[in-house]
Amino acid sequence: MVSMSLTRRPRFRALLCALLLTLPAAGTVFAQASPDPAGIATGDKTSVTDAGGGSFVVAEPTDKSAPDYAEKKKAYDEFQASAQKEPLAMKLADGLGHVKIATNTAWTLNTGYLVLFMQAGFALLTCGLVRKKNAGHLMMLNFAAYVFAFLAYYAVGFAFQFGAVALNAAPANIGGTPTLNRFLLGSGLWGFLGGKGFFLTGPAYDASANTMMLFQVVFMETAGYIIVGSICERITFGAFLLCELFVGALLYPIFGNWVWGGGWMSQLGASMGLGHGYVDFAGSSVVHAVGGFCAMALAIVLGPREGKYGPDGKPVAFPAHNLVFVVAGTFILLFGWMGFNPGSTLGATDLRISVVAVNTNLAAVAGSASALLVWYWIFGKPDITMACNGMLAGLVAITAPCAFVGPTAAVVIGAIAGAIVCGGVLLNERILKIDDPCGAISVHGFCGWFGAVALGIFADGTYGAGWNGIGAASYLGAAGRGVTGLLHGDASQFLVQLGGATLCAVYAFGFTFLVFKAVNAVKSMRVSREVEIEGLDVPEFGMEAYPEGSEQVSLA
Amino acid sequence: MKLVKCIVREGKVEETTDALKRLDVSGLTVTHVGGRGRGRNPTAVFRCSEYEIPYRPEMMIDMVVADYMVDDVVRTVIETARTGEKGDGRVFVIPVEEAYSIRTRAGGPD
Repeated sequence: MVSMSLTRRPRFRALLCALLLTLPAAGTVFAQASPDPAGIATGDKTSVTDAGGGSFVVAEPTDKSAPDYAEKKKAYDEFQASAQKEPLAMKLADGLGHVKIATNTAWTLNTGYLVLFMQAGFALLTCGLVRKKNAGHLMMLNFAAYVFAFLAYYAVGFAFQFGAVALNAAPANIGGTPTLNRFLLGSGLWGFLGGKGFFLTGPAYDASANTMMLFQVVFMETAGYIIVGSICERITFGAFLLCELFVGALLYPIFGNWVWGGGWMSQLGASMGLGHGYVDFAGSSVVHAVGGFCAMALAIVLGPREGKYGPDGKPVAFPAHNLVFVVAGTFILLFGWMGFNPGSTLGATDLRISVVAVNTNLAAVAGSASALLVWYWIFGKPDITMACNGMLAGLVAITAPCAFVGPTAAVVIGAIAGAIVCGGVLLNERILKIDDPCGAISVHGFCGWFGAVALGIFADGTYGAGWNGIGAASYLGAAGRGVTGLLHGDASQFLVQLGGATLCAVYAFGFTFLVFKAVNAVKSMRVSREVEIEGLDVPEFGMEAYPEGSEQVSLA
Repeated sequence: MKLVKCIVREGKVEETTDALKRLDVSGLTVTHVGGRGRGRNPTAVFRCSEYEIPYRPEMMIDMVVADYMVDDVVRTVIETARTGEKGDGRVFVIPVEEAYSIRTRAGGPD
């Protein structure tokens, strides 16, 4: 979405005007803004751009008082004249525009499938990290998270998040979803909630909108699985389903609207002059910090697992039951992340994808190396589960800045995230005494916050000209300058990132805590002490994860 | 007729059963078990909390032998499975009242 925000909003509007006023035949899609379920009217000459995003179709200037009106009018007249002389070129341009949208749709859907596969990675990782007696419980949580959060997002989440995306952040790369154009709360630069596309009917029964839906729903699912890592081994299945519906319908879509749906945080550049507005390329904050701080609130509401803290308050180790799952799951997540970050351009015609992919890998290995070495230094032995957490920490932290920084900055960001995750685990386990079985709070919450802030520090201005409608012509006095961080001269971008990431943490933690403190007061969200000691598999789900030979003594 | 029950190191079990086979022990059963002795088991660290591994993996060998073989069997197990370090294991000899073969319906240690 993200990158659609790259959509150079003013240019898009100008295009819209041009279509409405002068190209009625070609512009029917936009003019009537009717949904296009078959995808046969999406993508025409107006989608054709040069490599830098400059439009092939020249729009008619409407503001006669603008200083460059004469120049623009001349370019427009010349375009119209050549269009009349070369009708075949116009027809070819229509075909080219459709192929461009098709290419980007294929890219977006396929990277979405990679993100979907991260479900398998999360299931293996979290299952491996807990005790054998709860393995079936973990499998069930990961499975049900996908199913129920998906339905909640289909019903209302997508509309809340993207119901107004065409207004301020139209995803031009995949056709612009012109029918999703109304805020339910707020308007203009201060939108708070989208209002079109409930149950994917009417305006959302559209090829472009469904591309968006597939890609976005798997991102929401990621936030949905994150919480599993913190609340497992003690939550009842019913309470868990409620958590997933809450994440899929409310918690995630609301913040997502503010940042990716054209909502108020993304427009802070236009409305308050703060950099390019709040920028989060692929979701360090929108996905990971929301999931991580939601997980933190839930872990506090639930309390630590039975026996996690001894009578003296010292933490007791509950060792992972299957390191093979942990490592396999981590590498599946790394693989899925190759969809998560590069896919967030929503277009293969945006060649920045290669830089994004390399940055993502670099941060992953730097985070892993740093967590491994920090742990080696503190405890005298390298710990594979911390190495895996470190890899995910690097990935989470690079997710927001991956498109805006260079490879060296990616290594630095990843390495810092690896250290943060070690500190976070120690802080939660020993000082705050928040029981987080899989480290989700440290990995996704703390490193997600850091990633969004790191964007405001390290963004080098080489990418994102026109992001959120800011600086399409020039920024900080340079043409083509994109999102720029503190180290490269834009302090306002740093401020908006710091404030936005912190707001994200407060929002996700506070909203979740209030809702589930109340839920827990009505009906306890925890299984009974006896069930917890026996393991949740049989009492809650009537099955053992490893029935063959499960009577054997655990040897480790 | 006696049941000889031995707990030996994982790394010694095959050598021991090979030696027993040469003694013409008619059959034996091997089980993975976990256990501990007087000393401390090795310490592990999981995510910043240290813990003593509660049970060390060991192998248990069970066999029923005729009384005249017991001395040879026990001596063979001790000689083969011994390293001289702590944790070499134990041998127990327990009287058995009756034993049968299910296939042949025959009684006795064989």
